[in-house]
Amino acid sequence: MTYQLEKKSAPGRDEVEVLGPTFEEGKPEDDEMGRWRQKIASRADRLKYLETAERYWYGKEWYGSEKRKTPA
Amino acid sequence: MSPGKNEIKSIDPATLEMIEKAAQEGVPNAFERAERISPCPIGADGNCCSICAMGPCRVPLPRAREETPEEKKRRRGVCGATAETIAARNFVRKIAAGTASHGDHGRVMAKLFLDIAEGKAPGYQIKDEQKLLSLALDLGVKIGDRSNEEIAVDLGKLLVNEFGKQEGELLFLKRAPLKRQEIWRKWGIAPRGIDIEVAEAMHRTHMGTDQEYHDLLNFGSKVGLADGWGGSMIGTEIQDIIFGTPAPLLSQINLGVLKEDEVNIIIHGHEPQLAEMLAVASQEPEMIAYAKSKGAKGINLAGMCCTANEMLMRHGVPIAGNFLQQELAIVTGAVEAMVVDVQCIMQGLADTANCYHTKVITTDARAKIQGAVHMQFDEHHAIESARAIVRAAVDNFVNRGSNVRIPNHKADMIAGFSHETINYLLGGMFRASYRPLNDNIINGRIRGVAGVVGCNNPRTIHDQGNLLMVKELIKNDVLVLQTGCMAMASGKAGLMVPEAAAEFAGPGLASVCEAVGIPPVLHVGACIDNSRLLIAATAMVKDGGLGDDISDLPVAGAAPEWMSEKAIAIGQYFVSSGVFTVFGTTWPTVGSKEATEFLFKDMEQMYGGMWAFEPDPVKAAHMMIDHIDKKRKALGIDKARERVLYDMAMRRELEAV
Repeated sequence: MTYQLEKKSAPGRDEVEVLGPTFEEGKPEDDEMGRWRQKIASRADRLKYLETAERYWYGKEWYGSEKRKTPA
Repeated sequence: MSPGKNEIKSIDPATLEMIEKAAQEGVPNAFERAERISPCPIGADGNCCSICAMGPCRVPLPRAREETPEEKKRRRGVCGATAETIAARNFVRKIAAGTASHGDHGRVMAKLFLDIAEGKAPGYQIKDEQKLLSLALDLGVKIGDRSNEEIAVDLGKLLVNEFGKQEGELLFLKRAPLKRQEIWRKWGIAPRGIDIEVAEAMHRTHMGTDQEYHDLLNFGSKVGLADGWGGSMIGTEIQDIIFGTPAPLLSQINLGVLKEDEVNIIIHGHEPQLAEMLAVASQEPEMIAYAKSKGAKGINLAGMCCTANEMLMRHGVPIAGNFLQQELAIVTGAVEAMVVDVQCIMQGLADTANCYHTKVITTDARAKIQGAVHMQFDEHHAIESARAIVRAAVDNFVNRGSNVRIPNHKADMIAGFSHETINYLLGGMFRASYRPLNDNIINGRIRGVAGVVGCNNPRTIHDQGNLLMVKELIKNDVLVLQTGCMAMASGKAGLMVPEAAAEFAGPGLASVCEAVGIPPVLHVGACIDNSRLLIAATAMVKDGGLGDDISDLPVAGAAPEWMSEKAIAIGQYFVSSGVFTVFGTTWPTVGSKEATEFLFKDMEQMYGGMWAFEPDPVKAAHMMIDHIDKKRKALGIDKARERVLYDMAMRRELEAV
């Protein structure tokens, strides 16, 4: 799509370029939109992701609030 | 208190339009039945004991005056059971019924999962390897180079075993904060298995067994935990493995999603295994061609209740409405088939359907309805079962009458905020994290987090309690997480889109929502997915900075329009996990001050969480906010503090102390 840029004045800034009539509504249409888990392709990457992202349960070095001198 | 004869029954325009149409056409529905039937005041207060044939014994409190000590002494059943024992027994039986319902759902999923792993359910597959691996890590199942199916067989056996386990502790309890686990052990409420706690609850509440209300209610916590950290959690996790972990997607909600020129099939209930197959079968080219041969332009699948939530958050299938709209969907005259599985399905559907061409199709051997057509769903031949049901719906299109009216009301909503997705959204792929949430709670932009869940109830104005409460919460910078029919109420009102933050949220919450790109009210799933809220709360604790237990967090729970026993089970596991939880509509132990006192006060001393009852949703929201503020104060984050950047000299000084 060829965008048409318009120049407009903006508060605190002199002039800004906006898309104007070629602005596209932000509603997702692609079925895969938002399906972030599919980005991780291999088992090794999945395990790595679990270790870092879900470190609260699966991280080897993560303690968070539960790093305590005396175990509960 | 029920809305009166001339009072508004709902704040949803689509619902009001269909109530009016039903009245014009003389069609029975829950709204008009609730008007005719007053709730039994003795039963509502928990003062009726019907567990043996010496009664039923009624032991009501005197109305509008204090009870004398003599009256209190005489207020007993034939066996001598006190009002406390009777109220506690009734309450524990509700928890047991709710736990049994979620547990049975979880069990069906666990068995299906095992069947899939063993190649006995060819229509399904393991869609989410990552969730499979996380459960394997949780339960100590070897991963290595084994196939997903090999891992799943071991996992499935372990999870099926959780239902009948007689000793030890439920495996998922280990996911909770360490301090919480110790609290459960201290009070002897760490569940051994799922079925055993339900069975013992029924035994303890049998005539002449446990007659000490503290003990009964404490055991109720054990049963509730067998739901939240047992049956419900197993159900949620396995559904994620089989059908995919939800991620945000855009869809629509309300009766306006029905289509006048297509075959409308509504999927209603709670277990998604059939609905998943209906989604496939209804879009097969041969089936669409068959619909066209009957004069329809296509096949429109829409959801109702929690089966709808499951299908919405994984496939974007639109939702026709929540619990109290199930009969009204049929009143549109445009529904060819209402396909039901289990739970929250009104028997009245069959009567309503008799007034139109709609076929009510029951599909589960555990949930049949007189007057409905039964087409048993077979998971081992899933697609064939689904095709037969879709075909029956298509065949019914030609019988549609002339009295079709679909309300022109529907709203956009975004669903699918699982714990995993919230974690990802807050930190991205490189460092998914709850840190931004905790930081924004600590800096005060977000005051706290609330879970507003539960059902509809015609004894209150449909959807109103939820909307007033949720709007009050987000206006006060409380991020709201929702499941079940309450999530749908907010979706219909336009609160589940990012734009709602600017319009309805306080400035702090709105700024965070805008930065992350999320709505101020997040759709987390079906009612079984309240287990996701437990995991989210645990992640907040474990990330650090907000205490070391769920009871330290500035969070609260609510069910402003509850009606089902499952809601009581959910509330009990929230409270027993350390969450202040307020219910609206009615409260089932008010007939015993002592039993109520235990639930509303003593439980906080024991578990760090307690129940409350407040039928006014705005007052209830402020009880939640007050609790959140109390927790903020205890954490020392109630006032803005100057941020000091420590240099090395200051750090050394600190370490020396």
